[in-house]
Order: sequence, then structure tokens, then C-alpha cells
Amino acid sequence: MTEAGAWWTLLAAPAMLLALAGLAAAGHAVLAARDAGRPVGPAAMVRPFTGVPRALLAQPRRLPAPDVLLWRAGVITVPVAAVLSTLVIPFGGVTVADLSVGVVWFNAMEVLTWAGLWLAGWGPDAAFPLVGGYRFLAQGLAYELPLMFALISAATGAQSLRVGDIATSQQGLWYAVWMPVAFIVYLAGVLAFSFLGPFAYPAGRDLAGGVMSETSGADRLVLRAGRWLWLAAGAAMAVPLFLGGGAGPGMPAWAWQAVKTLLVLAALVLALRRLPMIRADRYVEFAWVVLIPLTIVQVLVPALVDLNR
Amino acid sequence: MDVTGLVLRAAAARPHVLLATLPGGTAARLEAERVLRLRDWPLAATPAQADVLLVAGPDCPDLRAAVNRLWQDLPAPRALVHAPGAGGVEPALETGQARLGSRADQRPRAEEPGRTTRGGDAGGPHHQEPRGGEDHGEGHAGNGGSHDDGDGDHHHAAEARHGDSQAGPQDHHDGPEGHDGGNGGTGRGHAGHEGHGGHEGHGGHEGHGGHGGGGMEMPGGLPMADQGEDRDGLTLDQLHVPLGPLLADWPAGLTVRVTLQGDVVREAEVEEPPWSDITGREAFWVQPWLRAAAGEPVGVGEAARRRAAAHLDSLARLLSVAGWPAEAIVAKRLRDDLLDGAPGASVAPRLERFARRVGRSRTLAWMTRGIGQVSTEEAREAGVSGPAARAGGDVTDRYRQWLADIRRDVGRLEGPSPLRPAVDESPRGCWRDDDPPSAALIALLPNLLTGAELAAARLIVASLDPDPDELAAARGTVGAHD
Amino acid sequence: MSGSTAALSLLGVAALAVAGVYGAAWALRLSADPVAAAPFGSGLEPVEHAVSRFHVRWYTVTMLFLAFDMEMVFMYPWTRVIPAVGPGAVIEMFVFLGVLLAGVVHAWREGALRWT
Repeated sequence: MTEAGAWWTLLAAPAMLLALAGLAAAGHAVLAARDAGRPVGPAAMVRPFTGVPRALLAQPRRLPAPDVLLWRAGVITVPVAAVLSTLVIPFGGVTVADLSVGVVWFNAMEVLTWAGLWLAGWGPDAAFPLVGGYRFLAQGLAYELPLMFALISAATGAQSLRVGDIATSQQGLWYAVWMPVAFIVYLAGVLAFSFLGPFAYPAGRDLAGGVMSETSGADRLVLRAGRWLWLAAGAAMAVPLFLGGGAGPGMPAWAWQAVKTLLVLAALVLALRRLPMIRADRYVEFAWVVLIPLTIVQVLVPALVDLNR
Repeated sequence: MDVTGLVLRAAAARPHVLLATLPGGTAARLEAERVLRLRDWPLAATPAQADVLLVAGPDCPDLRAAVNRLWQDLPAPRALVHAPGAGGVEPALETGQARLGSRADQRPRAEEPGRTTRGGDAGGPHHQEPRGGEDHGEGHAGNGGSHDDGDGDHHHAAEARHGDSQAGPQDHHDGPEGHDGGNGGTGRGHAGHEGHGGHEGHGGHEGHGGHGGGGMEMPGGLPMADQGEDRDGLTLDQLHVPLGPLLADWPAGLTVRVTLQGDVVREAEVEEPPWSDITGREAFWVQPWLRAAAGEPVGVGEAARRRAAAHLDSLARLLSVAGWPAEAIVAKRLRDDLLDGAPGASVAPRLERFARRVGRSRTLAWMTRGIGQVSTEEAREAGVSGPAARAGGDVTDRYRQWLADIRRDVGRLEGPSPLRPAVDESPRGCWRDDDPPSAALIALLPNLLTGAELAAARLIVASLDPDPDELAAARGTVGAHD
Repeated sequence: MSGSTAALSLLGVAALAVAGVYGAAWALRLSADPVAAAPFGSGLEPVEHAVSRFHVRWYTVTMLFLAFDMEMVFMYPWTRVIPAVGPGAVIEMFVFLGVLLAGVVHAWREGALRWT
């Protein structure tokens, strides 16, 4: 099996991720327009993107004593890590690099957002972002382990950490079907590492935007893009991990992959509007006492199946 | 090709608005929120995120410094507009957008040479001294000054177009402050930082010993955090963070100074609303009660409508603070429809859906359970008479009480009998001129906030949602009696 | 293209894109002169630097987390050897997890998972 795809995949993967993220943001805008009683149409879809020229024009801001280097490093880490996670996500049988430790790679990139968001909160030397940065760490302590067990469930089912193998080992029966707990916990984890919707705790409105409250201009654009890029990356990864990758009747693999990814993305966008913010001070207890034992039992299921193969 | 001009216009298509609601500006805020919702102009929470600073409400000398502070923090392209009343909102927003998209308006200010010579705010507490406050505010007064009559809506459009509001505050800052430049400030900042690091290298953690300043020049002219006893029995750094006066989803003009250790409130101190001038301020939510008390005939239906809208407004705030913007916008829409005079039958189905979704949300109840406990007896003892007292419990109980009240009120929007202001409850409790219900709610805050996590503290304030306008209205009527 | 070349190249592409955003912002911004802003304080001036020794009240959770995180280091390779090693692999791993979970239950009963 080849480790890596052709050179053009290096450009295609980030471009497709960006397109998916854009679609998610546009879909979110349409739902918001419907709730707010505005006309729903193509105009509502493109309006969020006026944020791009806004960000590019903005005059820089200088706070009294920011740690500019760490601040910016943190802000940039979030979207860059999202793009790097696409390295191992197969699309229609093509992967930028189908690493033998693909699952671990994805996990590692996702953990980079911990550093990124904490730095983004620390950098501006302002109270609300600081609290926001620490909030993400607390949230991380809650969502990370269940997410890891969910990833391990899929890897155990395939006895491989290679994402391509996990996708092909689901011939006939998707992991989402016989590992539903892992699938749901994974999706919750996606919302958590993209700090959107119920997991917008570090960027909460009660903190006037938390980690985002002092970012402006290009920094703000990059950080906001990072959120949606992570959501898109998480949705794309869900397909090979739990939904059988590109397998499906009648259509080429890439088409199935696209359909499944879009469906997962739509489900995530709908879900992030349906729930209020879940604060870590309550979620940590739930995650440790309920989710971790549940996901551990979930790992046991494919492990026992492996033994009987 | 004029790229910048093109991009400016594209960016101005959807400005982010920072809404600074002044005391007595509820009507203007409601109108602004309605217009912004329909135009899809997002409400920003901080200056860094905003393009337009919309000051809603009659000019308030005590808050000029605060408004000016926010305005200083907005990066270009930016525009400052003022809408003293509801009628001034739409023209003000138009003006703001036009200014954002106009090169002529953005360029001179952005390249103004004196721009960065504002001091690094080394003065610290100068917002507290009245003179400093006036200095700050004068530029703004140039903008707001012409509306001393306060209630003539036809003035607002003209006022919003006041050109000098752009340059005003700026001009003022160059002169009187006389600090050496902000540039120098940052230079110092960096030096300070390195010095700090060096300290640590030598003396391990003791490098932090310089906490509290003590004559040492600190980066940005600010001291480091000082220490204090913590509830865990440790001595830890504490941060002093003001909540209000100009904070999104927060009672307009209310200021609570909290001392944080980590993100837990160690101490909360409510500031006496320092509003020297209360002319032209109206308490929008209790208007029917004030009018009825003054002898005007007011129907129960009108009062019920106002009360339901007030509860929806409070709910929208609570949902926003609780991080559920999708439902907050639904609440705002229902509120706007009610205030618009929509018949109960047309609102009821949507209200039902909303009440079901929010009232039965297990997640929301889980997140608000046990926060801000006030039993009915405690509330009555503290002089609280409204839904907060009837609910008797935590944040969950209070928002469910609001939902129940709204459902009941929407059923009697057409009630013809006259309103008895002393008997029929106003949105936050029984209306009394000498002791408005919000005063008791505010008095509850310091005890409830102490020991709460910051997010919980915001939820507590939002679930009581005192209306500082009532205080001004009460003082106004009491003053009239004297 | 090997895996690491691909990873580094992808990092390069992402870095270029981010640099492009900052470059465009640099070229288009209305003014190179930064606004001297203060951290947001609801309209009031800050009284001190916000960076401080932040009291994270969930510090005990971090200890638990570390234990589990180390366990993950074993668990990733473990997924690949289950059939080769046989039932022993599964038993050992889940006994280990059970020990860790006992720790979680203890910490929970001590109230370490709650801090407000």
C-alpha cells in the first residue's frame, strides 16, 4: 500500500476542507436567518463571508502589554492544525498520506488546539480571553478522553491505526451501527474541539466572546476560520471512521464520500443550534463518571469481536 | 482600480454593531435589536469585533467616559453613531453604514497623525474623577449635545449625521492627557517583560515578588495582579473585573465590580448608579404602570403585553448568556412582535413552541440548576415581589416562571379592564414609586454573586434581570412629589 | 512522497495560506498605525494586568487526566496486537482500565470532579 498520494492532493485536501467549512458556515447562516425571520436565500448564505473583507481592512489594535508572539502563534495553530489533520483523511480512495498511525495523527492535531486556544487566551493580557483560554483546558479535560476511546473503538474494530484500513474493514456493517456510543461521543468531540454551539464555552457570550473577545482583523478571521475548518475536518473524518468511507452502491467512492460528509456536517450544524452551552464545570463530572466508563465498555465490544475472528 | 474602496464597500455590507445602551435607552435598544435582526447585522460583544458603535439612549454624562473608552478601542474602519430614542436608530445605522463604506470618512481618521499619542491609560482610575470623565466625554457631547430636549424624534436623524462625532474624542485626547506616547508605552512594555523574565531566571518564583507595583515601572503602566485569601485557604492572585456599565446582555448602566480568583467570584460590589441627570429617561418596561399611576386610563391588556414582552426580553438575555443564541433570537422575535401589537392568536403557536423547547430543555436545566438560590421567603424578606419571588428557587425555576407568566399574559392581551398599578404586578414586581422592584433585585446581587463561577454569576444577574431604568423613574416621580 | 514529506508539505501549504491572509491584511489595512486600545472592561479602564497565577480549580482532574493519557500511549499500539496476543491482551488492558476507573470513582466520591 502506498503511503502518500500525488502532489496535487496537497492542494486539493486543504481546498476541499475550506469549501466544506464554507458550506457549514453558509448553512449555519441560513438557519440563523430562518430563526430570525429574515428571508432565506442565497443572499443569506453569502453574508457571513463579508467578514473576510472586514478582517482584511481592519486597522491593527495594540493592547497595553500583549504577548504578541504567543498570541499569534496560538491563533494560527488552530486552523493550521485543522488543515494538517486532513493529511490522513481518505477521500474516494485517495489520501494525502495514509500513515500507518493515521488515527494518532488526527488525535495529535486535534490536541494542538488545546495549546492554540490557551495561548490565544493568554496572549492579549485581558481578563475575559484569559478566562476563556482556561475554560478550553477544562473543557478539554472533559471531552478528550471519551473522544480518544471513541477513536480507539474504531481502530480496535479494524485492528489498525491506518484510516484507510478502518474504512475498508467496515464492509457490510458500519461501525456507527454497532458502535453507536463511540460514534455519538466522537461527534460531540468534534463540536468540542471546534468550540462551536454547545461547546462554545471558551468563546462564550457571557465572557463577551472569551478567547475571541480581543482578536480583530486577520487574527480574528484566522481563528474563526479555524473553528469551521475543524468542524469540517471532524465531519470528514467521521466518514472513514464510522460510516464505511466511500463504500456504497451505484456511485463512485468519491461521490459517496461527499454525500456522507455533507450529511454529517449538516447534522453537526443542526445540532450546534439545538443545545445551550454546556459548561465544563458540569460537563467534567458527566464526562468522567458517565462517558468514560461507557466508551471503555464500547472499546471492549470490538476487542471481544477481534478475539473471535 | 480602487481596490480599497471596493473592499470598504463590501465590508460595509454587514457591519458588526456594538450596542452601548445608556440608562433610559431601552426603547432605542429594542428598536436597534429589531432592526439589526432584520438586516442581519450581528451584535458585537466587544470593540475589537465591532465596526459601528451605536450609542442608544439619551445622553448620559456619567457614562461618557465609558462610551469614549469603547470608541477608542474600535479599530478602523469604524463609525460612532448616537440614537437617543427609538426613532433615531434607523437613520443612525444608515449613517454608520455610509461612513463605513466611504473612503473619505475612514481615511482621514485612520491616518490621523495624533492617533497613537494617546497615553497608555496609565491614569488607571481616571474614569472615576468627574473632571477626567468630562474631559473624555466632551467630544462625545459635541455629538449628543444638541438633544437636550431628549424626546423629539425628528431631531435624531440630524443628530446621527453629526460629522464631528468621528474626530471629536480624538482631538480631545491629544491635548489634555499629555502622556508620552503610546508607542513609548509598548516599548516599555517589552522591556518590562524581559526584565520580569530575567528575575525569574535568578530567583525562581520569587521573580513574581514585584506584584503590586511598589514604584517599579510596569508594562503598559499597569500593576500586576495582587494577592488575596481564597476560599480554598490559599493566598492567590486576584483580578478585578468590572461587569457593566456597557456590557452586552447586561442591565444598561449597572456596574458590578467583581474580584476574581481563577474564574470564581471572590467578592462582588454593586456600584451605586451615579446618574446625576435623569431628565428625559423613561423606564420603558413600567411605562403603563407609571401612566396609570399618573391617572391616565391604561388597559390591563396593554400592561399584559408589556409584561410579556419584558419577560421575553429577559429570557432572550438569559439565553444569550447561557450560550443558546438560536433560541435567544426566537425570544427577541416574539418580543418584537408583541411590542409591534401582534394579536395574541398569531404569536401563541410560536410562543408555545419556544416555551416547550426552552422550558423542557434538560440541558439548560442541568446547566442552571442550583445556581442563584433565592427561596420565596428570602425574596419576600428582601422586598422582592415579582416572578423572582414567586419562582422561589434557582435560575431554572426563575426562567420557567417567566415562561409560565408569558403564556398567561399572552392569553389576556385583549383585557379591557383598567390597570390598577398598585395591584397588578409590573414586570419585575409590584410597582411602588418609593421602592421600585428592581432596587430589591439589585440588593440581592452581592450575596448571590459571591462564590459563584463567572458564568454562573452572569446567569444569576440575567435570571433576576433588574432594570436600572426603574430606579431613575422612581427617583423622578419621588422628586416630583417633593 | 513519504509520509513525513507529505506532512511537511501540507504544513507548508497551510502556512502559505495563513501568510497569504496576513499579507492581504497587511496590504489592504486602512492604517498601519495601531489603535492604542485597552482590554475590554465594559467601558471601564483595566486596573491591573490580567496575566496572573490563575487559580485553576480543576487541577485534580488534570492528575486523573494524565494517568489516562499515559494509558492511551499503551492503548494505541494495543489495538493492533489483540488477535496476535490473544485473550491475555484484552484481559490485561481492561484490568488496567478497571484500576484507573476505580481511581476515578474514588476521586468522584471525594468531590474532585466538581469545583463550583
